[in-house]
Amino acid sequence: MDVGISRRRFLKGSAALTVLGGGTIGLTPLLGNEEEHHEAAAIMTKTSTKEAKLVPTLCEMCVNKCAAIARVEDGVVVKLDPNPLFPKSKNMLCPRGNAGIQALYDTDRLKRPMIRTGEKGKGEFKEVSWEEAYDAILNGTDKFPGMAKILDEEEDNRSSFLFCAGEGMAEHTFKMFYEAFGSANWLNHASICLQTVASAYGVTMGAYPQVDFENAEYVIMAGANRAEAIVTPDTMDIFKRTKGRGTKLVCVDPRFTNTAAKADKWLGIKPGTDLAFVLALTYVTLDEELYNKEYVATHFNDFELYREHILSKGYTPKWAAKITGLKESDIYEIAREFMAHAPRAIYYPGRRSTFAKNDFQLRRAMAIFQALGGGIDTKGGLVFGGKLALGEHKGVVPMYYQARERAVNKNKQNDGYDHCVVVSGGGSWIAWRNRFLENKMPYKVRGAFIYKHNPMQNMPNTEKTAQMLKKMELVVAIDTMPSDTVMYADVVLPECTYLERTDPVFSFGGVEPAIAQRNKVIEPMYDTKPLNEILYGLTKKISKPLFEITKKHDMFLQDEITASESELDENSTMTLAELSKQKEETMYADEFDLTKVFEHSQEEVNEHMVASKHGEEAVKKLKEHGIFYPNMDTYYKQLGENEFQYYPEKEKSYSVNGGAPKTPTKKIECNLANLASKGVDPMPTWRDEYNFKVPSGKFKLLTGRHAQFTQTGTSNNTALHDLMHTNYIWINEKVAKEQGIAFGDKVEVSSASGKTIIRAYPTQKIAPDTVFFIHGFGEESERLTMAYKNGGCDNAVIEDNIEPVYGAAAMHETNVEIRKV
Amino acid sequence: METVAKKSSAIKEFIRSIPINKIGVKDLLNFEKSPLNLFLAALTLVFLGLFVVGVLIYLLHGHHAYNVTREHPWGLLIAVYIFFVVSSTGLCIVGSLGDVFGFKDYMAISKRAIFGSIVTIVAGFAVIAFEIGHPVTMMIYNVLTPGLTSAIWWMGTLYGLYLTFMVIEFVFLLKNDMKSAKIFGLVGLLVGLAAHSNLGGVFGFLNARTISNGVFYPTYFILTAFITGVFIAYIMMGFRYKLSFSKEIQTMLNGLAKIQALLISILIFFVTWKFLTDVYGGMPNRAEVAVHILGSWTFWAEVILAMLIPLVIILASKASAYRAIFFASLSGMVGIFFMRYNLVHDTQLKPLQEMKIREYQLTPEWVHYFPSATEIMISLGGLGLCLTLYYVGTKLFSLDSDHH
Amino acid sequence: MANYVMVLDYKNCINCKACEIACKEENGILLGADKHRIWVGSNNPKGEWPNLDIVSASFLPSQCQQCENAPCEDVCPTHATYYDENGVVQVDSDKCILCSYCMVACPYDARYVDDRTTTVDKCTFCSDTRLARGEVTTACQNTCPTKVRTFGDIDDPDSEVSELLRTREHFSLKSNLGTKPKLFYLT
Repeated sequence: MDVGISRRRFLKGSAALTVLGGGTIGLTPLLGNEEEHHEAAAIMTKTSTKEAKLVPTLCEMCVNKCAAIARVEDGVVVKLDPNPLFPKSKNMLCPRGNAGIQALYDTDRLKRPMIRTGEKGKGEFKEVSWEEAYDAILNGTDKFPGMAKILDEEEDNRSSFLFCAGEGMAEHTFKMFYEAFGSANWLNHASICLQTVASAYGVTMGAYPQVDFENAEYVIMAGANRAEAIVTPDTMDIFKRTKGRGTKLVCVDPRFTNTAAKADKWLGIKPGTDLAFVLALTYVTLDEELYNKEYVATHFNDFELYREHILSKGYTPKWAAKITGLKESDIYEIAREFMAHAPRAIYYPGRRSTFAKNDFQLRRAMAIFQALGGGIDTKGGLVFGGKLALGEHKGVVPMYYQARERAVNKNKQNDGYDHCVVVSGGGSWIAWRNRFLENKMPYKVRGAFIYKHNPMQNMPNTEKTAQMLKKMELVVAIDTMPSDTVMYADVVLPECTYLERTDPVFSFGGVEPAIAQRNKVIEPMYDTKPLNEILYGLTKKISKPLFEITKKHDMFLQDEITASESELDENSTMTLAELSKQKEETMYADEFDLTKVFEHSQEEVNEHMVASKHGEEAVKKLKEHGIFYPNMDTYYKQLGENEFQYYPEKEKSYSVNGGAPKTPTKKIECNLANLASKGVDPMPTWRDEYNFKVPSGKFKLLTGRHAQFTQTGTSNNTALHDLMHTNYIWINEKVAKEQGIAFGDKVEVSSASGKTIIRAYPTQKIAPDTVFFIHGFGEESERLTMAYKNGGCDNAVIEDNIEPVYGAAAMHETNVEIRKV
Repeated sequence: METVAKKSSAIKEFIRSIPINKIGVKDLLNFEKSPLNLFLAALTLVFLGLFVVGVLIYLLHGHHAYNVTREHPWGLLIAVYIFFVVSSTGLCIVGSLGDVFGFKDYMAISKRAIFGSIVTIVAGFAVIAFEIGHPVTMMIYNVLTPGLTSAIWWMGTLYGLYLTFMVIEFVFLLKNDMKSAKIFGLVGLLVGLAAHSNLGGVFGFLNARTISNGVFYPTYFILTAFITGVFIAYIMMGFRYKLSFSKEIQTMLNGLAKIQALLISILIFFVTWKFLTDVYGGMPNRAEVAVHILGSWTFWAEVILAMLIPLVIILASKASAYRAIFFASLSGMVGIFFMRYNLVHDTQLKPLQEMKIREYQLTPEWVHYFPSATEIMISLGGLGLCLTLYYVGTKLFSLDSDHH
Repeated sequence: MANYVMVLDYKNCINCKACEIACKEENGILLGADKHRIWVGSNNPKGEWPNLDIVSASFLPSQCQQCENAPCEDVCPTHATYYDENGVVQVDSDKCILCSYCMVACPYDARYVDDRTTTVDKCTFCSDTRLARGEVTTACQNTCPTKVRTFGDIDDPDSEVSELLRTREHFSLKSNLGTKPKLFYLT
């Protein structure tokens, strides 16, 4: 099928499909249950016994990339099953993974390229051909300027364009476009994701580690919710062993989460005070000399300094009890138990956004505490794991002399902003945005390319993001869904969904490393394309004209391609102009031809990347089974209905660094002296401003995830709506009663940033001074049938607080008011 | 061939000899145009209209037009069906007093009661036809693959037989063939009682629904059927004689009222003990449901309207305030309706899946149900149908007793 | 010919509801609050913040218990509900008259009305989909992240389910009703 099947054909075409026009019955509630019958049209598939094509793929309903096998009957994907061969996901698909079919057949999908016809942000577009869309990007329309005009006016300052990317297997493909284009402004999801945790672990133990839950005996899971925010293989490994079955799980969370329900012990800590908890655990460990002395002697830098610091500051459990709201005896008990089980004890590093401004120090303290038990690069502890090599896919990185540098405060060691010491490769999204809005940029940024990224929903302070996107003169969005952000685009390029494309092959490191590949299951529907093809088409359109602009403004380039008399060979029949032309052409072809990055299909690129390291057999395996690792045929065994062997025990990569940290010194860095000069505590230190406090009448707003939705990417999924139709705000039952708020009542949540309306869920599972609701609801794009104005949007309310070291958004620093409406 | 022809002509002759009044539309419109009668006529027509509308909505939207759910699959229509078949069984019992058991005093109501039993069960079937999802399938597979362990199969099948016997009995009554009427009446009564106790068994067999499980409903159904029959007998007589009764009728009404007082007393005794054992027995899943029922207004509507008011009036007047007892019987029938509704609803009060299946829901505590407009329309339609058929019957047949 | 049972290591369950969607996709179950063959139940934890009772907040995956002595089968007036050759309780939608008696009689709330056929539907252990294709397990078992379920033939002494039931303590739901469920919950 060349052209994607239309919905009508899709519906008519297959007997395997059961089509549901749920539809609303236009009768009064008296004529039946209102709630039940007001459902949007939905399509559910049913498998049959007829012959089917089974295609191995990788899920993209969240970031985990679990392996799936798509069952295709008569050209229709009817079922996604887990692929048992992948050691990371171990034969499982979560609810979102199962609901991938609804993402594919979502009738709200972006179907054709579009260009803006109305006011920016109003979502008024007309559908156009790909050629027209590319042309609009280059040359603009009467509504917006083209890239050529902007670049020309900015004298080929390539940094006048911003590139933003969400997480995904093709993020790298998009980054290659960014690099070829030559901008220095790159913002990805890191600063609302793992930035701080990954960096803090990086500077302390050399890498952001994985965990070996299969062999751990004791786990502290603080501020992580693996039962709801599913991470593979962590989620699968831990919960089979809790409740007295091998691992003692201590859950520390200001909410009673599903993880708390599955834990052996739960501590309802005050939000943002985890650092005090860890400092007290460290205190007990040092004071009672419970730590692994041998490990500390071999693998620690500045241990004595740290010991002295902790003990002298008086970080006792008694001290911490006051700050955290926990029991002194619990802290003693946990520290002692943890160290008794170490090194098979894990203080779970977590995989989440930054919550509090002290997050960098918290992560450092956690890493050091973990190391005190010696549980690093070892079975049952934190592990770095092995990783299989892949060949390289080379990009094109032309030299643009007119391109300005990244707009950061330069100093000796780090590039930072006023608000944060370091700005890493992924950038600090909200700091960048705010500087842009406050006109603090040293040059003009006038256009933005946004790939698979929804900052309108995922960046704190939605209002400011809207202003930023409005201020951008040319916004190009590449996405599968008409998200809130897409509504602010000038040109929309529809990407096909993950089931319609082959993505860059990826190597997954870990105790049981493997290479996995997302294979195309069906041809792209409608007029959509994979990113690689989109960018190939785009660069074919813009590469030459952009080169002309560079040529116009770039004196160095002019020099290089202008032939001089001396270069003319005596025997040459060429004129000077002809030679210059030839030099120009060679220069273009060698360095400035952006199409070269994307000229090969993804399948070809993958084949090269795999074959160059693992041979043709591996290429075949990845196509047929989706997974490859050396000796897979002999290693992989299904031991039982629920048991699989991927590697024999002795082949597992528990220890790859001899138990040492991966820092350059191969030691745990307790004291970061270079940070002290920039006002950052060199060792984790509690400061009074970290104390939890909420003005009376207000609540601390927490946000988070759960198993049935992944941020806003799944907000329009009909099958997932079936599991949770909207989000609710958790409010302590007693407080709700006092305020006359009952289950299902609509309340307005407001802060200095803005407000949102959401239904109330009075529960005992949250403290009286705290409220919580799930991220990813309350979209404003009218093109999202299920998601439009459904539930509350957290980022409309969350204030733009910036974590001061790595510039990540601190999500749990907002106090809100609640009013029944 | 000849014998067949003979037989069929004999049957034709038999049918022809049934005394039926020849009536036309004019005769149907020929009634005393008193305000009450006109009101009742109009009401009946409205009910029939609602029936048509309700059925149309049902045909368009199926069970979505009803407020029945997974947790509460049986709604108002089941209650109304039970209401009608209980009425039918009750009228059958009352009718049998005279022509089966030979209580001469009650002969005067026999024919009318038996006709009433036919009319009410037809109305019941008409209502249940729109509750059962596939009535035609039912008729086919009821025969092809009978579920002999199912109380519903027995109930349905026996009620089908019962209707047949009642019609035959009625025919013999019309023909004044009291001997045959007695035979078919007796068989019909037995089948009816069996059917009716099986209806009680439908609930009694529900092991998972402890509030209904056990022997109580099958026996209680017979008792309440008798009570219902007496109420309706009173109402029919009241309308027939416009509340001025002859000596003979008074004798019958006096006897019926005394029986009624006895029956209601027994019923109160039954119900009291049911709740005593339910509540103080402390059996899980039953005690709390019983307490919940005691807190519902529909239960007290049942008790006050169907039990206390009639009993007090009968006892206070020594069973001879016939007019008052007539009105008490009207109250009684409203109460009986609640009794049926409560039976159906209370059985399903306690959810069998008591955990939350979604994060954002309240823990299932009690299953809520309120009938939809469509259900109410079809139910009132059943009543309209019943009244219409009865009215037509009074024109077609001579329902008064011929024995004086 | 088998005697299929399911063993649930229910303490593994994290209430993610992957099984619910897998079931719907595999078997073409309509969306909607009332429409589900399988579900995961949860309770609010007892107690008051912060003294909450972890044990009371456990999760219980459930579905048709495939009773050996099924009340739904007993009460069906037309034998639409029957035991198939593998001991699975099935509904023949051609015979179902939608009297709903089985829905009232089932102690587990495992039955619901399928709007397409307007007949009663229930879990079939994926008989007409996966098992019919020769696959050896159900959709819910296969997809589960924490591997709660094990599916198999209890008449085969070498099967995993037989082994589990021989070696692990277990209970079944509402067993006091004499329904003899074939779903076993490991303790």
